[in-house]
Amino acid sequence: MPATRSSSAGAVWAILRKECRSEWRTRYGLNSALLFAVTTLTSISFVVGKIADRTDILAALLWIVLVFAALASLAHTFVREVEGHTMTMLRLVASPTAIALGKLGFNLLFLGVLEAVTVPLFLVLVGGPPLHWDRFLAVLGLGSVALAAAATLVGAVIAQTRGRGALFAAVSLPILLPVLAGAVSGTRGQWNGAPIGAELRLLGAYAAALLGASLILYDHLWEE
Amino acid sequence: MSALPAREAVSAVATLSARELTHRYSPRRGLDPVSFDLAGPGVTAVTGPNGSGKSTLLRIVAGLLRPSGGSCVLACEGRELPARARRPAIGLAAPDLSFYEEFTVGENLSFAAEARGLDDPRGRVRESLERVGLLARAADRADALSSGMRQRLRLAFALLHQPPVLLLDEPGSHLDDDGRVMVARLVGEHAERGLVLIATNEEREKTLAGHAIQLRGRGVGDPA
Repeated sequence: MPATRSSSAGAVWAILRKECRSEWRTRYGLNSALLFAVTTLTSISFVVGKIADRTDILAALLWIVLVFAALASLAHTFVREVEGHTMTMLRLVASPTAIALGKLGFNLLFLGVLEAVTVPLFLVLVGGPPLHWDRFLAVLGLGSVALAAAATLVGAVIAQTRGRGALFAAVSLPILLPVLAGAVSGTRGQWNGAPIGAELRLLGAYAAALLGASLILYDHLWEE
Repeated sequence: MSALPAREAVSAVATLSARELTHRYSPRRGLDPVSFDLAGPGVTAVTGPNGSGKSTLLRIVAGLLRPSGGSCVLACEGRELPARARRPAIGLAAPDLSFYEEFTVGENLSFAAEARGLDDPRGRVRESLERVGLLARAADRADALSSGMRQRLRLAFALLHQPPVLLLDEPGSHLDDDGRVMVARLVGEHAERGLVLIATNEEREKTLAGHAIQLRGRGVGDPA
């Protein structure tokens, strides 16, 4: 056999780069996610205007827009491999764990780009009290990790099933509810000046639990 | 199947043993129980009617498919490789192997080389494309290739990491006469230092093999 470098980290990095290049070439997920976010925020702004005094609605609205804009694309990273018949190639060059970690990395990047556009647009169009940036970014960061981990896990599990459309909704809902609850409560709390330690701990622990479960499960995925 | 005498295992690069190996695609049987011992270097043809399990056998050997029953033991340089650890030792070219259509031929193989952690990925890609006569098409997108060119790309993918075990499922399909000569040359070169399994019913490909595993599956139309 030819000489090889330490392959696990290299495989994760190669898959992450492959995902980025593929997204750049096809604009498969980003365009539709951004279109959803911009359209939704513009419509809300047009109909309701600025609602700076309702931090509960603002927090829920921000996370609903982020989650729904991102979710289809995040979970679709695995479905694309199945529908494009490239899963066999992928499985021949990398372990299931490396594949999933590479895709998780891409999903985090994807969320970062989406948030970089959506959050400023949200603040301009819908408004809100001044942000406490350190606390807001902590909620946004931990919420994003938990969201990406959940979507990657769900995407990996449903990718090879036949009724994946219906299954996606059924599996996603219970897994995403704790993320939404913690993120919305934390975002509202930072606006109100309330302590958000509990929310940050919930999001952090949930993200860690999802990542831990994923690392255990990924090696057993796709065993036909 | 025909019982095969194993070659001298002392100098063998790779050995492959199956005992009552079987697989079911519920409720249909995909591979009837089969037992054999193989030792490289050398070429073995896997023959049998459509639906007898030739591709299934190769996928089990590659570690892509978990058998329903029996055992399949692959060892390289005296070390037994469990199914999950076979990736570096296996090169598979099969009809269901597809590539990323938005990438060029070279990019597809570069990704595979990087994910496998090969040293000098560019050199490896160039060398494998040269061997299958596809170097001139390295900059073409994968979706622009003819079916014959795609088959050459599958062969280049299988050869990329110079594996000790080469699994070729209908390697001559879609190839012109030059392509079939190229397959014969590649198999001959690889057989000097590794184990080659060719799943085929083509007479010309059968003649490349020194041994044969005849699968006597129920074939098409038998639901058992």
